[in-house]
Amino acid sequence: MAKPLAVANAGETFLLAFRNLRRNKLRTLLTLLGMIFGVGSVIAMLSVGAGAQAELLDRIRELGVQNVIVNSVRPPQQTRDEKSSQDSDWIDRFGLTDADRLRIERLCPGIDQLLSVNLVPDRVWHGSSRLDATILGVPPAYVSLFGLVPTLGRTLSELDEASASSVCLVRRSLLRKLGVLEEPLGLSLKLGNFPFQVVGVLEDSNYHEQTLAALNLEAGAHEVFIPHAASMRTFGNLVYKERGGTSERTRIEVDRLVAVASSADQVRTVARVIDAILSHGHEQEDYQIVVPLSLLEQQERTQRVFSVVMVLIASISLVVGGIGIANIMLATVTERTREVGIRRAMGARRSDILAQFLTETVAIGLIGGLLGLGFGMAALQGIVRTTGWKAEVGPTAIMVSMGISCAVAVISGLYPARRGARLDPIQALR
Amino acid sequence: MNSSAASSPPLIQLEGVVKSYGAGSAEELVILHGIDLCIQAGDYVGLVGASGSGKTTLMNLMGCMDRPTRGSYRINGQDVTSLDDDRLSAVRNRSIGFVFQSFQLVPELSVLENVEMPLFYARVPRRERRRKAQELVQSVGLGHRMQHVPSKLSGGECQRTAIARSLANDPVLLLADEPTGNLDSRTGEEILALFAQLHERKRTIVMVTHNPEIAARLPRIVEMKDGRILKDSRSGSSQPLVAASA
Repeated sequence: MAKPLAVANAGETFLLAFRNLRRNKLRTLLTLLGMIFGVGSVIAMLSVGAGAQAELLDRIRELGVQNVIVNSVRPPQQTRDEKSSQDSDWIDRFGLTDADRLRIERLCPGIDQLLSVNLVPDRVWHGSSRLDATILGVPPAYVSLFGLVPTLGRTLSELDEASASSVCLVRRSLLRKLGVLEEPLGLSLKLGNFPFQVVGVLEDSNYHEQTLAALNLEAGAHEVFIPHAASMRTFGNLVYKERGGTSERTRIEVDRLVAVASSADQVRTVARVIDAILSHGHEQEDYQIVVPLSLLEQQERTQRVFSVVMVLIASISLVVGGIGIANIMLATVTERTREVGIRRAMGARRSDILAQFLTETVAIGLIGGLLGLGFGMAALQGIVRTTGWKAEVGPTAIMVSMGISCAVAVISGLYPARRGARLDPIQALR
Repeated sequence: MNSSAASSPPLIQLEGVVKSYGAGSAEELVILHGIDLCIQAGDYVGLVGASGSGKTTLMNLMGCMDRPTRGSYRINGQDVTSLDDDRLSAVRNRSIGFVFQSFQLVPELSVLENVEMPLFYARVPRRERRRKAQELVQSVGLGHRMQHVPSKLSGGECQRTAIARSLANDPVLLLADEPTGNLDSRTGEEILALFAQLHERKRTIVMVTHNPEIAARLPRIVEMKDGRILKDSRSGSSQPLVAASA
């Protein structure tokens, strides 16, 4: 007696499946639609998720994953009513000091660079037009660290720093707002009351919200970069501001410290040590530590949850598609009961019948998966165009959705196929 | 015992075959009450009897579409009574050829593809299968209809296709269930002539028929009644060859 062999001629079973699907074109198309929408939405969601992830990485990279940023902030308790606003000599003092910087330098291991930034909110004048700007006195290393590469002219150099020269890097939008029409390089702008020469033009920043917050910038703030030494010499660290009729003077020795850890896994330790060092000398919370890496991880978690939820929702349509397949296959099995009986009488085993019906559902899954891929990409184009989100169609998205569609097809086809295979051949032939 | 029992074991041997439904329960429905039947190779047996006499059930058992409740069934000396479903399928595939009253062709498949079906499940390679099926279709005189689907064929042509199909794996036993029942008398005669030819070529055939005229022409007639064999006779002799065992 012939031992039962594996399933008969897989290739031909496949051809037969396609023939059967072609025979009922409309029905097959409707069944496919379920899969197409399901797979399409899963692909779209996965890609949107991947795009968001990539954008997030970009965003945090703006701040540098190896950086620890310490900002001086106004302590929460100290409000204006406490100090006498009548006392015109009153000076608000808070924030980081040069002593802090020295202590960090001395005590905190694992730091490659420690950069001070002097922030001066002041006006920029060009002739009679003026603009509120944020003037940043930065060491040359800062400029390269944050990837500030001028598209025109040069960057700030060590020589500028050493000689405290009155040169600046400006954003292109600042020039536009000031109505500068002439060649910007070599142009003299007045920062506050002091003339500075433009040596480089930076493209407009496109900072994300997190970056703005971490850098203490307001959206649309105009940054002007000058050598740190020049800012100390020209502006010092006393800031005079008039606000709602009252004047306010604040002295912040160091507005911002940027510590560059020697490696990414050192970042958290460095941040902790800096916090420990600073908490010693500061009774009030007048500083804030931003760790871009932690931000990244936190954001990634949120992002991942979001992605999972989106994909789950998209999967619901896939499940609905699967139910459609199951439904159609049940009808098909019922319709072809006699055929099953004939095939069984001719010697088909249950597994042959099972394979025949399953092959049909897998064919639906494959075709639906492929068409769904196309649909998903098209939908994605639409989403990207209307919302401006970023999206990435990775090979994983394609493989995952094809895999899922085949899996859905097999799972939803299994019950009808089993039902067909279990038909009693005598009954089926009646 | 059967006088035709020669030294070689009979091709088909049923011993005390009982088929019942709802066995064990109070309302056990017994369809076959202990059938003993031997069929030698090359025999041409007409199975007659009123409807409800158990002919169809007996055919299903002989065709390995079903298993007996009790008793044993041997084909070529091999017991197939307790084979599992897959092995029974293999027996149907290799050893049995079915011809049905309603032809039972797959409507979507062409004549050729219908005839190929048993070869497909016998895992015969594609080219070989095609060649063999073409031969078979030619041999039943349908060479000009190979690519037609059954709906484009006459009843006689359908039954010829079914006969070609039943011969695909060169089975030891042909089971025909009223093969002329759906045909007009002239076409029916053609089909019977085809069976007669097969008989001449030493095929073993069991044919269920209601038609006493047809039955009368067959070399051996097994008459059933109420799940028992009533009479088993050879033509030409009015004497029953063997009395039915009750």
